[in-house]
Amino acid sequence: MIQIFVAFFLWDKIFENPGRIVFGYDRSKILTYVFAIIIVRALVLSARAADVAGDVAQGELSNYLIKPMNYFKYWFTRDMSSKILNISFAFFEFIILYLILRPPLFFQQNILIILAFLVSIVIAIMIYFYMLFIVSSVPFWAPELGWGSHFLVTIILIEFLSGALFPIDILPAGIGQVVMSLPFPYLIYFPVQVYLGNITGALLVKGLLISSIWLVILGISMKYVWSKGLKVYEGVGR
Amino acid sequence: MTIAKYIKIWWLMSRNSFSMVISQRLSFSVFLLGKVLRFSFFFAFLYFLLQGTKTLAGYTSSEAIFFFLVFNLIDVISQFLFREVYRFRPLIIKGDFDYVLVKPVNALFRVLMGGADVIDLITIPPLIFVAYYIGHSLSPTFAQSLGFWILFLNGLLIATAFHISVLALGIITTEVDHTVMIYRDLTSLGRFPTDIYKQPLQGFITYIIPVGIMITLPAKALMGLVAPAGIIAAVAIGIIALLASLKFWNFALTKYTSASS
Repeated sequence: MIQIFVAFFLWDKIFENPGRIVFGYDRSKILTYVFAIIIVRALVLSARAADVAGDVAQGELSNYLIKPMNYFKYWFTRDMSSKILNISFAFFEFIILYLILRPPLFFQQNILIILAFLVSIVIAIMIYFYMLFIVSSVPFWAPELGWGSHFLVTIILIEFLSGALFPIDILPAGIGQVVMSLPFPYLIYFPVQVYLGNITGALLVKGLLISSIWLVILGISMKYVWSKGLKVYEGVGR
Repeated sequence: MTIAKYIKIWWLMSRNSFSMVISQRLSFSVFLLGKVLRFSFFFAFLYFLLQGTKTLAGYTSSEAIFFFLVFNLIDVISQFLFREVYRFRPLIIKGDFDYVLVKPVNALFRVLMGGADVIDLITIPPLIFVAYYIGHSLSPTFAQSLGFWILFLNGLLIATAFHISVLALGIITTEVDHTVMIYRDLTSLGRFPTDIYKQPLQGFITYIIPVGIMITLPAKALMGLVAPAGIIAAVAIGIIALLASLKFWNFALTKYTSASS
């Protein structure tokens, strides 16, 4: 909540003059971006699968391997329940912050854009799930890196490169293009931009295509890394 | 026990803490890389933002970046000195705090400063260099520099008071991790000059939870924006905060139940 306060007041100060346009945003769109992050974060970045690293490092994974169930589906189900819980909290957070800050929000009314936004959210959820499992596989080879790998990827890289702190398009064009070729912006920035109507037509199709390609690459990578990891897994600690 | 002996104990405990961290080289490298990346990303964000907006709340690019650097310096130095606070909870939960209490060393000193963080130590010198470079470009007078250093040390005093309060609250509630997270979230409000916040939030984070006095005021002093009376008032608030936190710690000690020991 405090992060939202910081982002809100930062942009609010920059757009003190209501007619000002910076980085292609006006006051209403940038503040909607800040508020949309609350909901999109709750939908995409709230997941329990980060705990998989602990299971691997402490040998708890053995308990699951002997059970007649799919480990990936188990964690995906837990992720979904976590998202439902978090979205309800995010909803209240949104309402409370809206009542306190009274921002001039932009509400999308084009049903096709809303549909594209929902598709981008589904892709983002899957990308994040695969990313978490890949990062959580690190302890197969380096058990002491369970928290370290998550710190580096989920707290540093994803936090900054996903657009959760600032819109990617404030970066210079060259850097922005490099970042947009990575999977991270498709977690937060892309869905929010789709909602705002800033990405439409060919750009929307291109974005959905790139994120879908990343989805496939990460899905295949996750299965490959996980199967390699299981071969070296020794159940240390059990 | 004399201060010299405490310095010796701190050095011994820090050396042990450094040895532990450095023995896990891979983990050490990942965390160091993460911290450097976090700073670099935020710095880049601020730099590119100011390229587009030119000013922030009336401050020039250099001034706004200097606020951010002062925030980082106070944050990193307090994390370097008080990292042991993050390891306090298990002592309370298991009752192992008993072993700290029976030793002939001040218990607060042990749990507050017993494990300096080598990763933060590595990031401090380059941060000081960049802060000095940017600060110097603002052409401060001697009096402004003096005001900055007084308020910077005062900021560390307030950070110390916050950490002591976290420890005291840890004894009473057995909760440390979330309190530390709340503290870090609150101090992150000082990442930008507190002038960006509207009232009553600005007043709240300046005087009630003195994040503004802790982080924004030292930078403002270097820019010549704080009157001598403001410096005296800020130092008084810093001293009151420290004394209040010590009182709270002494009160918390009376509530320690030694459970599970």
